[in-house]
Amino acid sequence: MERDTERMHLGVYAAGTGNHVAGWRYAGASQSGEDFEAFRRIAESAERGRLDFFFVGDNLACVPEEHPGMVARLEPFTLLSALAPLTRHIGLIGTASTTYCQPYSLARRFASLDHISGGRGGWNVVTTSSPESAANFGLDTLTAHDLRYRMADEFAEAVKGLWDSWEGGARIADPETGVYVDAARIHPLDHEGEFYSVRGPLNHSRSPQGRPVIVQAGSSESGQAFASRHAELLFSVQQEIDAARAFRRGILSRARAQGRDARWIRVLPGLMPVLGGTEAEARGKLDVLGRFVDDSAAMHLMSDRLGYDMSRYSLDEPVPDLPRSEHIHGYVDVHIARARKAGQTLRDLYNLFAAARGHAVVSGTPEQIADMMEEWFRARACDGFVLLPAYFPAGLDEFVDEVVPILQKRGLFRTEYEGTTLRSQLGLPVPENRYSAQRASGTGQVKRSRGATSAPTLHHT
Amino acid sequence: MSAAAARQMNLGVFAVGNGNHVAGWRHPGAARSGDDIGNYIDIGQRAEAAAMDLMFLADNVRCDLGDHPGFASRTEPFTTLSAVAAHTRRIGLVASGSTSYTEPYNLARFVASLDHISAGRAGWNLVTTNTPASAENFGVEMVAHDERYEIAAEYIEVVQGLWDGWEPGARVMDAESGRFFDPARVHELGHRGKHFSVRGPLNVSRCPQGQPVIFQAGSSRAGQAFAARYADVVLAVQINFELARNFCASLKRDVAAGGRDPDHCKVLPGFLPVVGGTEAEAKAKLDTLAGYVDESVGFRTMTDRIGHDFSSYPLDGPIPDLPLPSEVQGYARMMLTPEYRATHTLRDLYNNFAVSRGYLISCGTPEQIADTMEAWFAGGACDGFIVAPAHFPEALDDFTEGVLPVLRARGLFREAYSGTTLRDHLGLPVPANRYARDS
Repeated sequence: MERDTERMHLGVYAAGTGNHVAGWRYAGASQSGEDFEAFRRIAESAERGRLDFFFVGDNLACVPEEHPGMVARLEPFTLLSALAPLTRHIGLIGTASTTYCQPYSLARRFASLDHISGGRGGWNVVTTSSPESAANFGLDTLTAHDLRYRMADEFAEAVKGLWDSWEGGARIADPETGVYVDAARIHPLDHEGEFYSVRGPLNHSRSPQGRPVIVQAGSSESGQAFASRHAELLFSVQQEIDAARAFRRGILSRARAQGRDARWIRVLPGLMPVLGGTEAEARGKLDVLGRFVDDSAAMHLMSDRLGYDMSRYSLDEPVPDLPRSEHIHGYVDVHIARARKAGQTLRDLYNLFAAARGHAVVSGTPEQIADMMEEWFRARACDGFVLLPAYFPAGLDEFVDEVVPILQKRGLFRTEYEGTTLRSQLGLPVPENRYSAQRASGTGQVKRSRGATSAPTLHHT
Repeated sequence: MSAAAARQMNLGVFAVGNGNHVAGWRHPGAARSGDDIGNYIDIGQRAEAAAMDLMFLADNVRCDLGDHPGFASRTEPFTTLSAVAAHTRRIGLVASGSTSYTEPYNLARFVASLDHISAGRAGWNLVTTNTPASAENFGVEMVAHDERYEIAAEYIEVVQGLWDGWEPGARVMDAESGRFFDPARVHELGHRGKHFSVRGPLNVSRCPQGQPVIFQAGSSRAGQAFAARYADVVLAVQINFELARNFCASLKRDVAAGGRDPDHCKVLPGFLPVVGGTEAEAKAKLDTLAGYVDESVGFRTMTDRIGHDFSSYPLDGPIPDLPLPSEVQGYARMMLTPEYRATHTLRDLYNNFAVSRGYLISCGTPEQIADTMEAWFAGGACDGFIVAPAHFPEALDDFTEGVLPVLRARGLFREAYSGTTLRDHLGLPVPANRYARDS
């Protein structure tokens, strides 16, 4: 499978209370999703480790049963914009919903973030699946899954169109002549679609990256269809190397079928690394975290992940011989077999499946963790990882101080940043502006902006 | 200590990346871009060094190339002020946000999040957004003026309700017991109204100010009634002292009639100072500024504000007496009084719009400008000003280095901050949380 680089891309999923559901209870861990200084430390540590990006999730409801970091949290645009002037290289990816916002507002906020950060903005596109969110936006029921993705597709097209509405060089700002903009390089969108009607142009000049990077994390059929059309970075959930490789191959081939160049797509599974001086020490940390979780809540999560009602078992019993379930994924069988062979308990399985919200968990020495990452990367199961430290700041600091140098020594990760934009970190090209492209091709006529003939150039003389 | 500390002005800075004057960016050395974050951070830091109360950002949701060039392309207010927050420690940060095109849950989060990030310095300038061009960017019909205020009233009730959803002490964060928060102190809003249906609670806990500060700028009748009920600060458009005093008195009467302390609704007119070492020098500066303006843009700015195209009328003649369209409300009515018409030419009006977008212009030596400000402040026409420098950074420095020392010598403005939040600077108490029991 083609790949333009032999280096991994690494991002960090910044959850103020840690990515483990009970990470905030770990000794010395930051405890709040609203502590700006804690996020600042995460960003600074990630930049010290030369990571590609800082990622924040989002939701649009306060659901008490959820991960504590999601119950109360800073809003992504404000958080990332505040971090932007405090950092210089690291990408800033924010999650934003297509279901509860309008394309014009969202396009603006990301363009603004991209300007503020000097080209480090990225949009993780979500359609927001929680019914609690719907209730906060005047809807009694959740919009159906497939409809949400159809809306998201049109939404993303409109946003991309708005990001192109100012060509590069449209602002002249010549104090001598008083010419501020070249109106011929600013274009309305005039989008009239099934769900949205957007005149444009955006009230924001072309952003440093041309387009902020588009990220997608849903792995449903409609999610993958969306990703194959729009996403440049996929944040996937993978537990097992063969499935991860198949997923990556599948998504790249679907993107090619859409006429896209698969070299410009990065697939990064989530990974919770738990480090120790020895394997046993690392496992001990995971156990400490696991024991913070209420047993019934843990069983609830386990049942959910395994697709089988586990409530009659105890977490500290050996893994039972489970009957096959319709809902069980292949990788679950693999892990159950492995756990039974190693004499592991259900709590061990919980630590693997539920601790990181379904993402892979790897515990061990720095070498062991680097080995696992290298194996996945070399097998082309991924282009790198989104790291989900169980708790902050130590969970990330340990990775940066102990695993990153190993990856660097093996030539698998950069030792210095080579650019200042998120696209440059990810090795992605800057998309050409659609109007500039027409102009450059010389064949097609550049679509004139409405009213451009009557107001060719804005003068202040 | 005296029985009551001497009353002092509240002063904010109106930040427009390329200057408040429509062509201020042409001034030598002036910042020229509305989307360079460095400009905004610089403005925030300079205003903070001068101990000013706040930095204010206007907004619109359209790109109109005929309007002030600072509005054609500009960074979005909440992202901008979050970046400024990271580089300042005291100055208040006020962002405009529209009730017409942002869902209340989203807006409540932006403001609350900014308040957390800035440790209690956030304000929201509520705008209803009054242009058809904005509506077209959202695929919706434009709403009639008075109905926009009806919607805005329900909107702000929702937003303030969401901000109250987390009582003080709701976050427990006890690592020992594993108790992260106290569900009994987190409340659903359960709002079902004519225009909005919002269950809540907000996924941001109680913010440092409890309730971020509400700004409002509408000066129409509906706007004034709204302000009297909800606004902590009114950004006023006033160029005539008598009218300003009447407006201020009438608004504060309405505030008191609604059961609020009139002192807790501050009236701050927009104010563009042109500072010179001598009166002649200041006048020459103003002439230079006016000379930057292209006639078509000048007329366009005026047309937008008053709803009539006056470009066919002689500039040195009287102001045409045409009825104002219903879309144009307090802003233009405040300007076009019979007194103003009797004493001003169309050129005066044009310059007022082009130079300051209609705000009060004060041109002279630091003492003369301080005299005007003191006369308005002491005369009951305002509680302070939103200073709108013609260009940045020079015109802001002219004010902070020239006029502020005079105001301080007269005891009219603080020497240094005495508090840390925007409420502290404005002398506004933290409102009680609606759910809080005995405390």
